[in-house]
Amino acid sequence: MFIGTEKLTHIYMPGTPFANQALKEVTFELSRGEFALVIGPSGSGKSTLIQHLNGLLRPSSGKVFFEGRAIGSDKAELLALRKRVGLVFQMPEEQFFSETVYDEIAFAPRNLGFEENIVQTMVEEALDEVGLDTTVLPKRHPFQLSSGQKRLVALASVLSSKPEVFILDEPTAGLDPSGRSNLYGLLKRLNRENGLTVLICTHHLDEAAALTDTVLVLQGGRLVLKGPAEKIFSHREQLYQLGLGLPAVTEIMYGLSEQGMKVRTNIYSLEGARQEINKLKGRCEK
Amino acid sequence: MVNRSEFMIEAKDLVYNYPGEEETSFPALSGINLAVRRGEYLALLGPNGSGKTTLMKLFNALLVPSEGEVRVGGISTADEDKTAEVRRYCGMIFQNPDNQLVATTVEEDIAFGLENLALPPAEIQKKVIAVARMLGLEQLLQQPPHMLSGGEKQRVAIAGVLAMQPRCILMDEPTAMLDPAGRHDVIETVRQLNRDQDIAVVHVTHFPEEAVFADRVIILNQGRLVMQGRPQNVLSDIPLLYSLGLQGPAAAELAALLRKDGFNLPPQLIHSRELVHSLCSLEPKS
Repeated sequence: MFIGTEKLTHIYMPGTPFANQALKEVTFELSRGEFALVIGPSGSGKSTLIQHLNGLLRPSSGKVFFEGRAIGSDKAELLALRKRVGLVFQMPEEQFFSETVYDEIAFAPRNLGFEENIVQTMVEEALDEVGLDTTVLPKRHPFQLSSGQKRLVALASVLSSKPEVFILDEPTAGLDPSGRSNLYGLLKRLNRENGLTVLICTHHLDEAAALTDTVLVLQGGRLVLKGPAEKIFSHREQLYQLGLGLPAVTEIMYGLSEQGMKVRTNIYSLEGARQEINKLKGRCEK
Repeated sequence: MVNRSEFMIEAKDLVYNYPGEEETSFPALSGINLAVRRGEYLALLGPNGSGKTTLMKLFNALLVPSEGEVRVGGISTADEDKTAEVRRYCGMIFQNPDNQLVATTVEEDIAFGLENLALPPAEIQKKVIAVARMLGLEQLLQQPPHMLSGGEKQRVAIAGVLAMQPRCILMDEPTAMLDPAGRHDVIETVRQLNRDQDIAVVHVTHFPEEAVFADRVIILNQGRLVMQGRPQNVLSDIPLLYSLGLQGPAAAELAALLRKDGFNLPPQLIHSRELVHSLCSLEPKS
């Protein structure tokens, strides 16, 4: 097992009248290099789950694994873990606190005790990785950047410590369409070319679905569905009952299929839909 | 209210510079001439940093124009004595409902604005219950807002605005933080208010699928109004949308690809069901 959980249960404020069981015996595993998606209605436990994967939260019961070993409570080990499992929160740029883009990205490497000349290389590599300029931009104030650039800087600040697992909570919230497609292009590259394991929580499947290998579906703290993307997205009725949906393009394919057109419905990209529809130019059986 | 014109909101030769940013390459907004008609549903699109939120703040008297004028219900927003009246006439819903809910129960939250008007308690309660019934929130009146789902929270925020009997509702990415069911709930609620109560809506969104039901779509780019028209015209113009870093609805984008492949699809196709219908009614090719 590369990364995963076994019967992970999390209770917020245990032993008080406000006790809230946010995760109930969640068991799953991901292999190295997978692209995974966690979906579920608001309050289903997605954010709680991902905070366990880099040791920010501790299980009430059950275990969290990384490289086959249960995550313990040893501080040095947890620090090492957080370097290897990078976590980007929702709206990460709201947590910026440095005067320059450079300092913002250098914060983690400096904290990890790297020499300044190595820190500089790490910052530049991270900026380069997310496709941002490494000459002028590092000197600018983070608040002078556009929303899309700010988001990329936040990603770079996590990528600077070269994580092997990259976890993101609703990474495209508030971004415009070009910012969204840029960000998913980056995640695809990090996953396909650099071999990063990527795990995303999102309510917006349009960009994410086509990249995904594995989907985990949470409801009320329980893992109610897990498996290959194609299989999970074929549970259309169940997803709707959970208040979830499918990518818009997949819905169009279902629409065609319901009208009697012989088309596949396991299609998650415009290009895929285009090819499938081209196969039966203009034939409709009904 | 003293509004003899048919316009809810009028912007004339509007220019806005953020203080200290007069020297930047372009003002946050410039040359905006726009009128929102009684009961109109207006969708406002544009890339990050194009001035959408700034325009909403000018419509709500949170900002006043650097040059030109904004009139809301016939009142100039520069008239500081009438700011409260402007905001009552034209209520605002923000992206994150957590930033907008202030009270300990849903009932108190909806009543907040009315209490500030110093109305008698019995009258407040009557109005709150009427609004809650309209939005299907009766069962939740005694709940603390933080225990609600995202969609419910956003509907409570809408109820609070609605209790003030506005003639116009401004919404700045109201679904960005919501799950698919919550998004659906909020959009349906607002469309119903627009239809049944003749309340004008200005809806900022990054999701073209949310703009297809509008009466009119406006696109901002670099602080200027670059395009406006009916959704069928604007949202089907894929090359224009791409040139601005935007997207069309999935149906419009797929239709554009299929036309290139020789499918004889009608122009101005933006709804998924239209695309399905058009594809099914094409004559089989020999």
